[in-house]
Amino acid sequence: MAEIYFTKDHEWIKVEDNIGVVGITAYASEQLGDIVFVELPEEGITAEIGKDIAVVESVKAASEVYSPVSGTIIKSNEDLNSTPEIVNEDPIGKGWFYEIKISNNDELSELMSEEEYQKHIGD
Amino acid sequence: MTEEGSWKQLCCHGDYMSEAYWGLEQNLKTTPLYKIHNDNRAKLVPFAGYHLPIQYENGIIAEHNHTRNSVSIFDVSHMGQIKISGPMIYDAMEKILPISFSKIAPGQIKYTQFLNNEGKIIDDLMICRTFEEDHVWLVVNADCTSKDLDHLYNNLNKAYKIELIEDRALIALQGPNSSNILKTFFQEIDDMPFMTADWFNYNNEKFFISRCGYTGEDGFEISIKDRYAEKFINELLQCEGVKLAGLGARNSLRMEAGLCLYGNDISSSVSPIEAGLTWSIPKERIENGGFIGHEPIKKDLENGVERQLVGIKPMGKLPAREGTQIFDKNEKTIGEITSGGYSPSLQGPIAMGYINSDILKSNCEILLNVRGNLIPAEITSLPFVEHKYFRGNK
Repeated sequence: MAEIYFTKDHEWIKVEDNIGVVGITAYASEQLGDIVFVELPEEGITAEIGKDIAVVESVKAASEVYSPVSGTIIKSNEDLNSTPEIVNEDPIGKGWFYEIKISNNDELSELMSEEEYQKHIGD
Repeated sequence: MTEEGSWKQLCCHGDYMSEAYWGLEQNLKTTPLYKIHNDNRAKLVPFAGYHLPIQYENGIIAEHNHTRNSVSIFDVSHMGQIKISGPMIYDAMEKILPISFSKIAPGQIKYTQFLNNEGKIIDDLMICRTFEEDHVWLVVNADCTSKDLDHLYNNLNKAYKIELIEDRALIALQGPNSSNILKTFFQEIDDMPFMTADWFNYNNEKFFISRCGYTGEDGFEISIKDRYAEKFINELLQCEGVKLAGLGARNSLRMEAGLCLYGNDISSSVSPIEAGLTWSIPKERIENGGFIGHEPIKKDLENGVERQLVGIKPMGKLPAREGTQIFDKNEKTIGEITSGGYSPSLQGPIAMGYINSDILKSNCEILLNVRGNLIPAEITSLPFVEHKYFRGNK
């Protein structure tokens, strides 16, 4: 069963074993508005926890996405190249950004549960 | 996730997700349409000291396309409306502005700029020679209003009355259907050509209506007393097809129309010649002078300028925003983007920026440095989307 975690910067990660799928939250995609481009990380590169790894371009602005965990990028969501708007339509499903092989599962304990995240954005 | 690049004008810098960014901070003024914005689920942002809608619930792209295809209402009440009157006002204004009142009929509007002694742009504005003798009506940029007033007080003697209109909202109605809508209230506006203005009455209220705008479409700017604004906008919203649009769509529309944004494409370090605004200065004013900034402007025209504002079309889909460096093929900086983003009409990125004039002559290839990605781009003429102004029934 995959477990989902959240960051205070509005990224989510779904984890199964030591593989994570990362994206941005519905709240973030709504705040950004119409998304027109996503600059995704290349396969094979190393991501560091809390460091910028992708960029979301909405009509309004460019926003950096920080990796929720450290690891190696296994795959990027190529569908976003032709249809970036799926991030607005289905942020936690089809609008995922990349798959990452997590190098240190302990980092997950720093992240928020869904309940904690809902509280975080409710403030 | 945090905001990286932003519109200087439309967003305050800092954390994209912060309360300040989304306009929840204190001490911001509201416009007379504040209730309408909230009733229509606007996302309000702090802009020029006001709570203003960056978008409503349909989003910027939908609002943009609706304006191009039908008709939208924009709240531009933050802009400065200034009335000036006094004996021989036209002569006095010609000392400040590079325009010729001998060629401006009563009821006509001109686009022009306040210039400093160095011939650089203090602000750009619309000026109307109203039908009242010895009166002009100005609409200036919100952020520049106070420095514009200083400039006017410093350069007009006490015989002139300079009045900042603080009790009137300003509403832009823009799009191909705007005339069909507005003529149901004011029959006469249908024949009014682009860049003219007049007073109209409706329900015992006086409306100052100009046929102009900032979208490239046919449209109007309507100045109404604050107390009546909400009621009138609600009446407009009852009309078929009329929707609200925010500052986000306003920005993408004006970029497609190739119109300069003060603070981005023009500023007090740019001359109107560099900005491609030479068309707005009558030839006889260049020859005869007699206005602030004339000498340097004349020199710019005689000797040419070192950089020029051009349209830029990045290849691919990645938007190149303001501040993006422009390189030649040897990665030497040859210019900078001043406005850039996504064009809903062209469904891809567009930009405006300054490029060294010698490069423009040589027609060489250019690259845009977007976060280290070197994006090939094409230099194009402006506008990106054809203007559709109503020039009158011929």
